[in-house]
Amino acid sequence: MATLPAFFRKNTPAQHAPVTDPMRTARPRAERDPYALRSLPHEDILLFCKKVDNARLVREPDPQARGACWTVIGAASVVLLVVTSASVPYAASTLAGYKLESLRTEERRLLDERRNLDLEEAELLSPARLDQIAREKHLVPPVTGQVVRLDGKDGAVAMAK
Amino acid sequence: MVDRRLTWLAAVVLIWGTAIFLKLISLQVIHHREFLNKAAARQEISIEIPAPRGTLFSRSGRRLAMSVSSDSVYVNPMKLPDIGVASELLALALGMDRGELESRLRDAYNAHRGFLWVKRKISEEEAESLRKLPIDWIFIQHESQRHYPNGSLAAHVLGSVNSEEKGNAGIEMYLDSELRGVPGKERVLTDARRHNISSRISIPPKPGTSLTLTIDEQVQFVAERELAQAVESHNAISGSVVVMDPNTGDILAMASYPSYDPNEPVKAGAFPPERINHAIQLPFEPGSVFKVMNYSAAFDTTKLTPDTPVNCGGGVIRVGGKTIHDSHGGTGVVPAKTAFAKSSNVGAVRVGQTVGEENMYEYVRRFGFGQKTGIPLPAENKGKLRPTSRWSKVSLASISIGQEVSVTTLQLARAVSVIANGGSLVMPRLILKEGDRAVPVSAPVRIIKPETAFTMRAMMENVVLNGTGSRARLDGYTGGGKTGSAQIFDVKAGHYSHTYNGSYVGFAPATNPRIVVAVTVNGTRGEGGFGGVTSAPVFKAVATEALREFDVPKDIPETIPPTLVAKTESADDLAISDLENSSNSILSDDDASDDAAAVAAEAARTPGPKVPNFKGKTMRAVLAEAAAKGLTVLPDGSGIARLQSPPPGAPLRQGERIRVQFAR
Repeated sequence: MATLPAFFRKNTPAQHAPVTDPMRTARPRAERDPYALRSLPHEDILLFCKKVDNARLVREPDPQARGACWTVIGAASVVLLVVTSASVPYAASTLAGYKLESLRTEERRLLDERRNLDLEEAELLSPARLDQIAREKHLVPPVTGQVVRLDGKDGAVAMAK
Repeated sequence: MVDRRLTWLAAVVLIWGTAIFLKLISLQVIHHREFLNKAAARQEISIEIPAPRGTLFSRSGRRLAMSVSSDSVYVNPMKLPDIGVASELLALALGMDRGELESRLRDAYNAHRGFLWVKRKISEEEAESLRKLPIDWIFIQHESQRHYPNGSLAAHVLGSVNSEEKGNAGIEMYLDSELRGVPGKERVLTDARRHNISSRISIPPKPGTSLTLTIDEQVQFVAERELAQAVESHNAISGSVVVMDPNTGDILAMASYPSYDPNEPVKAGAFPPERINHAIQLPFEPGSVFKVMNYSAAFDTTKLTPDTPVNCGGGVIRVGGKTIHDSHGGTGVVPAKTAFAKSSNVGAVRVGQTVGEENMYEYVRRFGFGQKTGIPLPAENKGKLRPTSRWSKVSLASISIGQEVSVTTLQLARAVSVIANGGSLVMPRLILKEGDRAVPVSAPVRIIKPETAFTMRAMMENVVLNGTGSRARLDGYTGGGKTGSAQIFDVKAGHYSHTYNGSYVGFAPATNPRIVVAVTVNGTRGEGGFGGVTSAPVFKAVATEALREFDVPKDIPETIPPTLVAKTESADDLAISDLENSSNSILSDDDASDDAAAVAAEAARTPGPKVPNFKGKTMRAVLAEAAAKGLTVLPDGSGIARLQSPPPGAPLRQGERIRVQFAR
């Protein structure tokens, strides 16, 4: 592969070139075309690949360097482990925080929903509504002593005489 | 050379490290709090923790008023991209009038206001549709909204709240400080996307105290229904009902007509007439129901007994230049119990004169008139009772028949509770429990002798059986009461008009009263507007429902043979028809003889014990026989047993009482 110094040396002015080439000296220098475009920089550089076979090179065994390498790897691992160990609780705490806040939000939503359901239940059990339904079904209120409450609490289980 | 460079390098590194260390000291130690606050301001947001307003429960645990969270929409008018577009968008999403909203937005913009509620208490669907909009200038705020699930039920007791959830009527107003919760603050650490990471409560919320009222929603409903029906059917103006436990003072129901729905917001500054609680805020002249106090004072301070003859003067008496008369004719000398049962004005004036001014004033005050009852409701009126120094010559007579005084329905119920509970004045109780803490019953104050209370009880029972309160007679229960029909004073004309306050105050059962019901219908007209016609049926319906609701055992047979029921007399509590001359007496011989065959036939059909024959026996013998057989006898009069009800041989039901009339 041609390197730039080699290239420049190759194209040095004529005082460095051998003068023994009759063809070169005899040939008349072409007139510069005043209308020709100026060549681009490095237009005439030619690049090519040169294969280098270094298969025969063998690295010299260096047990000390290997040990140092392992030491560095070990130390890095320990540091990584320490850093990870230190950051895991924080990360876990953050994740738990997300979950906790999510659950709190859910709890508030459920409480709101329960209050809405309580309200709906109260509206459905409104005496005016029940009275209207009873009238539509031609029901009459029970007389005193007709209903016997078995559980003695809220009358959920009752018996009509 | 190398060493020098290393020295310089070390020095530079040292200086650099020192600078970093100093900066760290500055950040972490010296300005620690400052930067912590700055970080918190960036990473943390402050959220208000809502403290819901306390729920109002009925005595049976049903919810009467409760708060649920809702959303409200607001904007910053100064930061709206285009008011026209914004108003159109919001009006479409919230179902509002675009022009009105745009006007409000422009006004707020011109006033340089940075906050404007667009709509409060929006529905869940509206909130959801707004949240879906990719717009950052619409803000939704969580708020609490008060609901009254039973609509107008007990509206005058519960009251209502304004848009800020501050009570503006009823118990919501009177106990606002207890019901209102104090919201807390919470600091929430958020990430860049405003997701919550952790939170800490900086100010804990204090929820409002829930209150359990003494109101029974079923009795309240029936009271309101019957009252509305009575007012409308008699073309009256207004009315009120109070149902009370005479022993504890618990207000079981308090109805006022006309009513309103507390869910409907009221305009600021306005006070519609239907929001007046007629039971406590509007006093009226009670009329004949006030004779209860008159006779009680007489029994307590004079030698008057139910059998003491009272000269009713043919229905006319002249006092201090003023003529007082019974509305339809009059009667002569009759027992005090008859004068009371027939609601004779002249008889009441005569009785009042024996009591005297000082005693009358003292007893009227003792019964709680002219002073507030202390019920926890706003704007209670104490009524009017002038001191004796300002009485005229007619005042004693007027007060004896329930004029020149003004009372509220609650005061009447409280006064009759004294008769019902044996002579003690109780304080009305509206709050059964505050949170989980039971509110104790105030100690009753004895104001009349027990025997006076028992005598008055029998007198009032006689009003139902033989007097003007026949329409208040209950099926299956004994009861007592007093009607009242007070003419309404026309202030413009300067005299009493022909419109009435028709009242009835009674209790049941008569033997061991569990409830007292006071009914007033205001602005009735004509004889059909008297208390015995307008209010007594309301008492009957409400008392029947209350006794059933509280499982009060019956004390007389439910179905009384038609022939044994006193025919309905004139409900005019001013009309007099002498009991002795009446052919409609429950114990009249005619009734008994006419029904002998029917009773015998019924007795033959019905197995079981029969009513013994007490006729011709002395009171001692009757009482001894009744005690031996475990029967309850209600003796009346003295001498030999002449009449009895139920008649001899009739089937005897459990708990039934036998009335026996004695005569010489």
